[in-house]
Amino acid sequence: MIKIENLSFSYNKNYPLFDQLNLTLPSGNIYGLLGKNGAGKTTLLKIISGLLFPKHGKLDVVGFQPKDRYPQFLSEIYMIPEEFSLPSMKMENFVRINSPFYPRFNYSLFKEYVNEFKLPKEQKLSNMSYGQKKNFLLSFGLATDCKLLILDEPTNGLDIPSKSQFRKILANAIHEERSFIISTHQVRDMENLIDPIIILDEGQIIFFHDYEQISRKLAITKQTELPDNNVVYYESSLGGYTVVKENTTMEETRMNLEILFNAVVSNKEKMNELFKS
Amino acid sequence: MKLTNYFDISRISLLLKMEFCRSRKAMLMTFVITFGFLFIGLILESVFGFEKVIKSHQGSYAAALIIGGFILSSLTFNDLSNPLKRYNYLMLPASTLEKFLSMWLLACVSWVVMFTLAFIVYALAANTIAHLLFSNITYQAFDPLGKIPMNAIRYYIVLQGIFMVGAVHFKGYVFPKTIFALLLFSIVCGIIFYITMSDLLQLNGEYINEYSAIKGTPLHKAWIFTQWLFWWMLAPLCWGITYFGLKEQEV
Repeated sequence: MIKIENLSFSYNKNYPLFDQLNLTLPSGNIYGLLGKNGAGKTTLLKIISGLLFPKHGKLDVVGFQPKDRYPQFLSEIYMIPEEFSLPSMKMENFVRINSPFYPRFNYSLFKEYVNEFKLPKEQKLSNMSYGQKKNFLLSFGLATDCKLLILDEPTNGLDIPSKSQFRKILANAIHEERSFIISTHQVRDMENLIDPIIILDEGQIIFFHDYEQISRKLAITKQTELPDNNVVYYESSLGGYTVVKENTTMEETRMNLEILFNAVVSNKEKMNELFKS
Repeated sequence: MKLTNYFDISRISLLLKMEFCRSRKAMLMTFVITFGFLFIGLILESVFGFEKVIKSHQGSYAAALIIGGFILSSLTFNDLSNPLKRYNYLMLPASTLEKFLSMWLLACVSWVVMFTLAFIVYALAANTIAHLLFSNITYQAFDPLGKIPMNAIRYYIVLQGIFMVGAVHFKGYVFPKTIFALLLFSIVCGIIFYITMSDLLQLNGEYINEYSAIKGTPLHKAWIFTQWLFWWMLAPLCWGITYFGLKEQEV
């Protein structure tokens, strides 16, 4: 689905953002792209979508070079950025003039999503709330039946019912032929949805593992006292500590993405060592 | 290399449909304002003019076609000026060539055809109304195939590409920025022209106003070549620069 080889990119000549970045993403998954502010998540998504051009390196996204921005390529990917603009027209009109660009657009599926999100059909898109606009774009993007759906901070601005609706719809829409990439800081909203987890830091992929691998290698527990050994990372929490440690018992523990992220970013070497073995 | 990756007539028609749908209100407003001003101008000319015969509408046609068209051409890639709309435009599944062609068809061909048709209707209506108000004045009919309209169309087709180049390369305030860039360019060209031709221009202390003085000289050949460049190369060059500028757009 996506193959990135030796990607280099910089906004400024003296400070390269990506240097020799490599990444391969097979289809059929909902990838979670995590990283600190300025780590390059949005930039990477823009490069994958052909909205930014790499300085060096090879990119293959759904069989195309994104830089070419061929119509066939653009009809196979749909990106919902964090900030967007919708025209002053009703959704019916938007769909009428935009959907013909997507050969597999499924109108009945679109209507289904619109009903599930309870979007106001008669209201102009520009007058909708931020969350409604986002849900509309998600409904449209999913209905295009594109192979790659890219979401940048998708749950920002969504209310609590919309977040769970969002998770449900996304989980049902994934199939073997398509992939979703979700870049987010709201990791709690994405728990049990994104798998594998990709963590980007200082222009490098420092972590790329699925839940199964993670739970095989790591155990996240709440303890009143710190254990003596095998601790990778810990945070003090109410009544004790939340500890990330090497999983020696092979028991599966509940995943906490926020803690996992902090553990990976603060202890890269140890994590690398652990997942290499 | 698949041709459909570059050009598909159905996608061009979809893009045109989309642009018409998005901008129909703005287009209508532009027409109403333009013809409103033209009509007010005609009435004022009738009230304050001394002539008994108002010349045909050819001058107003030429001015409105060219100024309106330049403004329209400056607005062609308006979405690129807005960082949020850029996403939508660049991600729209159509090739760069199709996006360019659809805008060119709108700003060049459609504008000339639609404006001319609208002007014919306007001239008929304006003449009838103005004649009722000022029966002592004769209003000549508008002839779209007259020398002035045809020249205006020729000049417009050649020059509008410059504003499309501006539309792709400038972010916001495209029209004034393009005019400013053109002014700068004209000043530079004017200085170069004066330096190279100053001797010839002031033969015997008088400015020459005839070709004859330079006829047959290399300078004359250069002038002929410049004219050829203007009529045949300027527009394709501008369209080419617009196309490649659009292709290289990033977010």
